[in-house]
Amino acid sequence: MNDIKEKETNEEKTVQEDDVPHDKTVRLMSPTRMVVRRFFRSKLSIIGLIMVIGLFIFSFAGPLLYTEWGEIELDESGKTEYSVSETTYTVDGKEYTIRQTTEKSLKDNFLDGPSATHILGTDNEGYDIFVRLMYGGRISLTVSFIAVFLITILGVILGGIAGYFGGAIDNIIMRLCDILICLPGIPILLIISTILDASEIDAKYRIYLLMIYLTFISWPGTARLVRGQILSLREQEYMVAAEAMGYSTSRQIFKHLVPNVMPQLIVSMSLSLGSMILYEATLSYLNLGVKAPYAAWGTMINIISTNQDILQNHLNVWVPAGVCIVIAVLGFNFIGDGLRDALDPKARR
Amino acid sequence: MLKYILKRLGMSILILLGVSLIIYFLIRLMPVDFIQDKINAINQGGATVSEETVNAMYEMYGLGDNSFLGILKGYFSWLGALARFDLGTSFVYGIPVAQVIFEHMGISFAIALIATIFEFMIAIPLGITAATHQYSFRDYLVTVLVMIGISLPSFFFGNMLKDFFALKLGWFPASGLVDATASYTGIQLLGDYFVHMFIPILTIVILSIGARMRMTRTNMLEVMNSDYIRTARAKGLSEKVVINKHAFRNTLIPLVTSLAGLLPSLFSGAIITEQVFDLPGIGNIALDAMNRGDIPFIMGYNMFLALLSVLGVLLADLMYGIVDPRVKLE
Repeated sequence: MNDIKEKETNEEKTVQEDDVPHDKTVRLMSPTRMVVRRFFRSKLSIIGLIMVIGLFIFSFAGPLLYTEWGEIELDESGKTEYSVSETTYTVDGKEYTIRQTTEKSLKDNFLDGPSATHILGTDNEGYDIFVRLMYGGRISLTVSFIAVFLITILGVILGGIAGYFGGAIDNIIMRLCDILICLPGIPILLIISTILDASEIDAKYRIYLLMIYLTFISWPGTARLVRGQILSLREQEYMVAAEAMGYSTSRQIFKHLVPNVMPQLIVSMSLSLGSMILYEATLSYLNLGVKAPYAAWGTMINIISTNQDILQNHLNVWVPAGVCIVIAVLGFNFIGDGLRDALDPKARR
Repeated sequence: MLKYILKRLGMSILILLGVSLIIYFLIRLMPVDFIQDKINAINQGGATVSEETVNAMYEMYGLGDNSFLGILKGYFSWLGALARFDLGTSFVYGIPVAQVIFEHMGISFAIALIATIFEFMIAIPLGITAATHQYSFRDYLVTVLVMIGISLPSFFFGNMLKDFFALKLGWFPASGLVDATASYTGIQLLGDYFVHMFIPILTIVILSIGARMRMTRTNMLEVMNSDYIRTARAKGLSEKVVINKHAFRNTLIPLVTSLAGLLPSLFSGAIITEQVFDLPGIGNIALDAMNRGDIPFIMGYNMFLALLSVLGVLLADLMYGIVDPRVKLE
């Protein structure tokens, strides 16, 4: 027992000396590895990862593997609709009922239930719902990734500059943040969307423009986070050392300060991925984002705001899209949460 | 303290000026044209409107000039009116904007207030149990459930509840605020309001519990790890006293501060929820106004929201200074 203990202390010394363990039984762990290990220890983060990766495969690989129907390919196999009308006459005290059945042949096979040809049935136009879920996922995931990416870049640059230089520059950037944060989100998006309507932009691209606007009003959150971190990091010794070494300003900011903000940044990025998906879906639900005939999860739910029949009797039209949104947002939230716990320097588990 | 408040108030006015300038320009760029709609309606009625009348109408509504300078002029006349506490007259309703906002705010406020009370009543105990039983099954269950709540889109979940409780089970009415076929008064009317507001409130509560619960849990965990909790345990206090008297009270600091941050959400109306359940709240009215190009109302509504969020931030900071003696405002 004593022997082992001694060995351990010896090893600790060698580790401190040259950072490479001489004994193979001792494993060194970099902080990154520790974070990864803590992340994968939590079941919720693994579930979140599976959910998100699953959705990615479903949306991006799905349409390549399942090619029966296209995003805007109508099922024109036709449909016969029957409507029955009854009229009751009373002649000479006797009741006669005339039952009239009308048969109507329609070109598109719409509102079809789930079957072998249509896994989740067709919607009110005759599009295949299952396939549209995949294409909708492509839009939602792409758009939110782009938005979060842009928000992070803008936030890091402006927050970094504000935090590092302080003074008047800091004041200007932060007041701009204050103004942008006070802009009411959804109402302004509604206004921008009607402006886009008039500018005759291709229906496919308008959602990207809206998300760019969303980036424009969302960067202050990231900028504040980065600025706050940098303000406290700036006072630390290693920054004084960097200054003394004569490193250039941009090197000090982007090589020494920003990497130390990364943990918080990664967490906020993964959480805002979820909220961007929600934003996109809400816009599409209000018929402001992706417009028919193109598919987005929100757009697929939009129909129930005007059509009570589908809301009540055709759950297969709108519930799957909602479930996809929940899976995506929940997945990103689980991952963000797991990352937060894993990156927490105070974490002991 | 007074100097700090005055400084912050001055800053807030500058922020609001910036916000109003941005919003005004965006609104004036909107292609929805109230006057054009009005003229179309007159034309459909069989009468013809001369060019001069059209121009005169545009001038009357202050929308004659759509160039950059014209919009800027419009902005300053709007600002001038605001200085006299006049938000202008709503195009659609024909009454002052402030009055429209005030009339429809009540219902939004009632829904938000009831929802917030339930939210606190449910979220705080959940957060405390999750924190005191950290990493237990209970903690995971509560966390996963509220995370699902956070992740639900309001339009999807609202419609699901509406479909299930109102249309399938028929327990509650599906939309609106009052039963149009019955004329209730007094206590019956109040009951009718309640029945109509039940599902919307349920929707909001379930969606908002998550954030509050997680906030409580995080703060509670932080407090539970502090030295004075160890001291309290060491001196032999029962766990119940430690949690209820020593830990929970200190968790209240951020909770109380967050009350001020609730200000915007209490009065601004939930646009999506009101749209789903067709409630005549301020959010739904604003959505309608935006589709109809009611410029003074949209402007007034958005500025009202901006004012609320500026005030919310300011109040939160002040509350922080009052509740937590360690925080000094400067």
